[in-house]
Amino acid sequence: MNIVVCLRAPPPGPEADALAGADALALAQALNLGGDHQTTALLGGTSMEAGSLRLAQAAGVDRVVRVAADDMAGSDFHTIGQLLAIALRRIGAELVLTGVRSDDEGLGAAPAAIARHLGANYVAGVEELALVSAGTVDVVARGGGRKRRLRVKLPAVLTIARGPAAPAQRPPRTGAAPAIEVIPLSDPEATVVRRRTELLGRLDPASRGVETVTTVAALVAALDRR
Amino acid sequence: MIVVSAAFASARRFLPNLLVPIDLRDGEPTGPSLFAVCEGRRVAHVAGATVYAIVMSDREIDAAVVARLGRAGADKVLLCEGAGLAAPALDATHGPALQAAVERVAPLLVLFPAGGAGMALGPSLAARIGAAFAGAADLEATDAAGPLAEGVGRVILRRWRGRRAGYRRLDPVEIERPVIAILPAGVAAQQLGREEIDVDVIACAPPKGNTISELASEPDDDAHIPLARVLVAVDPALGPEAMARIAAGAPAGVVVVDRDRSAAAIAASTPEIVIAIGDVAWVAMGTPRGRLGAILFGDDAVAPPAVDVLWRVPAAAAGAELWSEIGKALSAFASRGAS
Repeated sequence: MNIVVCLRAPPPGPEADALAGADALALAQALNLGGDHQTTALLGGTSMEAGSLRLAQAAGVDRVVRVAADDMAGSDFHTIGQLLAIALRRIGAELVLTGVRSDDEGLGAAPAAIARHLGANYVAGVEELALVSAGTVDVVARGGGRKRRLRVKLPAVLTIARGPAAPAQRPPRTGAAPAIEVIPLSDPEATVVRRRTELLGRLDPASRGVETVTTVAALVAALDRR
Repeated sequence: MIVVSAAFASARRFLPNLLVPIDLRDGEPTGPSLFAVCEGRRVAHVAGATVYAIVMSDREIDAAVVARLGRAGADKVLLCEGAGLAAPALDATHGPALQAAVERVAPLLVLFPAGGAGMALGPSLAARIGAAFAGAADLEATDAAGPLAEGVGRVILRRWRGRRAGYRRLDPVEIERPVIAILPAGVAAQQLGREEIDVDVIACAPPKGNTISELASEPDDDAHIPLARVLVAVDPALGPEAMARIAAGAPAGVVVVDRDRSAAAIAASTPEIVIAIGDVAWVAMGTPRGRLGAILFGDDAVAPPAVDVLWRVPAAAAGAELWSEIGKALSAFASRGAS
């Protein structure tokens, strides 16, 4: 089975080489599945943003792929979903895992866009994951006041809300780590319809100061003030 | 190039409608669902909009529920009725029913309540109809001048940008697309509308091809967390006694959670007020109107980004007496009602 974990490009700065917490959970679930599967880490971004791919390499994925496309950082989730779906189709992904709200803006919408373009099932907030057979996974997800175990046919896109309870101990890698493959999506075959939705929304500065208090009662009163 | 989907291009003729998918628990709308209807009503007055409460069920809707939604401010109830729709929402089972509702009543905004089906259905719906999506947003009405569509007032949504670096303002008129958003948990006004409202029924056939099936279902012990207006997240390093003493004083609707044990439920939450106690850097998806408080121990502890109210306590003060004091202080939230 071909399992792909979609990672987000980390923001520039001191955490540029960090794996987002939500992405780390998805990667841990993928690696915990064990078995005779190929696990791929996929990132849409520039070579300068490939820090999370290198961390996935070190964690033991079989393949690392970077999707190189123009201005992904300036695209909305519709376009990102479409671009990544093209790459996922080329990779032959059957099971796609992402973090919950793992995009830079914390929307968590790109996975649904990926699922739409792949024609795949979409389940949000998965806490447990197990492979049942070729073409089927069992997941645990919450919603509507229930905690449910669901059987999901593949292909599927799952957003992961929790890491594995008991992470599997993987044997040390033998041989060199896989090189980062690049899928360029600027060729004429990959026709991407660029949309503008979020990006037209205006930006306002967050101009709130911090109020310092000296008692817990003052803290509660300040928070509930209207 | 801007591409306006055929669905939305035709939808523009029917603006403005505000759709609120209702989250039912044991047959009753949740507090955040009623709050979302109230919020819709509040801005509908300015925008001249119609508020539709969308209920998905496998049977006729109870008259008391219709009346409750009417009192909260709904102009109409849109009942998507079909086999399996009373179960918790999944895109595979409920997505087509929501799509049918959106095709029947084209929306300006779709407003999911906190703790509801927003993350399960919202992004997929946005992907299908080419809408904008905001995972946690405040609804605001403004009389600012602008290029208004015919009969449409100015209704905008505001959400945090990543890492709370600023606000993103989403105006469905300006971006020429509907906006789908999850609202925070809040307190619904007692009565904004009338009890006698119409119910339109959409008969929904089960989706073709059973691609997701339920194997088992049990009550979710953390189900109350995403419904909370006030979320108090406690660093587990402070110990179980801290959790117990702080929770003991919390009134109904104020939920005290272990940062790690309930991480998944916290991530699904959109509280109005968050209080982080100890090392709790980022606990829930709040909105710009929401408030974030932090109680930190020692002068060196780093405050969460965009914290509004900060109380620094000497590290030596951490202990049973302080936990009880915090718990008692939480009772002040009861005066406004918490859920």
